Amino acid sequence: MAVTIRRLEESDEVEGFDCGDEPLNNYLKHHAWTNQEKVSIGVTYVAVDESAPRTVLGYFTLAASSVPRDRFPKKFVRGLPPYDLPLILLARLAVDKRFNGRGLGHALISEALKITLRVADEVGCRCIITDAYPDKAGWYARYGFLPLEGAAATDPQKMFLDVRTIRRASSIDSFPAERD
Amino acid sequence: MPPAVKEKSKNVAALPAKAPSPRKLKFQADLAPSEDSMVRILKTELQMTSNTDFLSDALALLRWAVTERKRGHHIVSESSTGERKILLFPRLERVAPEMTLPRVDVQWTEKELECLAELASGQPADPTDALIRAMRQ
Repeated sequence: MAVTIRRLEESDEVEGFDCGDEPLNNYLKHHAWTNQEKVSIGVTYVAVDESAPRTVLGYFTLAASSVPRDRFPKKFVRGLPPYDLPLILLARLAVDKRFNGRGLGHALISEALKITLRVADEVGCRCIITDAYPDKAGWYARYGFLPLEGAAATDPQKMFLDVRTIRRASSIDSFPAERD
Repeated sequence: MPPAVKEKSKNVAALPAKAPSPRKLKFQADLAPSEDSMVRILKTELQMTSNTDFLSDALALLRWAVTERKRGHHIVSESSTGERKILLFPRLERVAPEMTLPRVDVQWTEKELECLAELASGQPADPTDALIRAMRQ
């Protein structure tokens, strides 16, 4: 497979996409394009294969957000800069179940983190936050995402990754296997 | 950070014989002592006597900055030796065209915000092997 990751386009084939989770399928099929191009509340990036460049194999959606400084509990603001906390939300990430186990999830999150770093370099951004299903929290933790405690019982697990950690990772020259 | 500004509309008695004049707005700002002091110093330096003139000039400057960032221009100061500093003002960056990601509101619980503040104000964690591989891909 020669996979490319790019922005969702109107002519992309999304009807056959099935990651095994109906809300994630439904978002790609019915909301991703509208949210990206018409109401501008999230940009979706898709993974496609060279041999079928319109068929979506996986996707993720990013949006920008921030936490107003006055929303933080007073005793915790001391170490924070005196501004709103800008962040990127990794709102969704899914792989078609027919292509599980081929490293697509890794390729997608890799691209999402690189975009995060570019945005951080361009305009400033402090962290990336994701809403993980509880059974996927371990997968995000492998990339260094830390759980934010306190989610409501029915909500997904919010997880945090510091942009400084991503930047540090991008500046390491050797593969982990080559170190030590 | 700009101070909270309260807007007050002026009560004007209607005069039926005259065409209505443009309504003037009155602003009342709650300034911290340090901000109040800063206003006084700036007014002195700029030889201004009225708060109206001060606000008018500040507004013109902010309007110019917003217009420039909307065009994608950076606001830069350059010293006599050529050293450049770029202004990065988070509110201003919201209008910059480089910021291609749309903005959304995230719902947070109090506990999540505590946890987020603790993590964001602490030292960053070391990258994991998977993260290093992801950034190398």
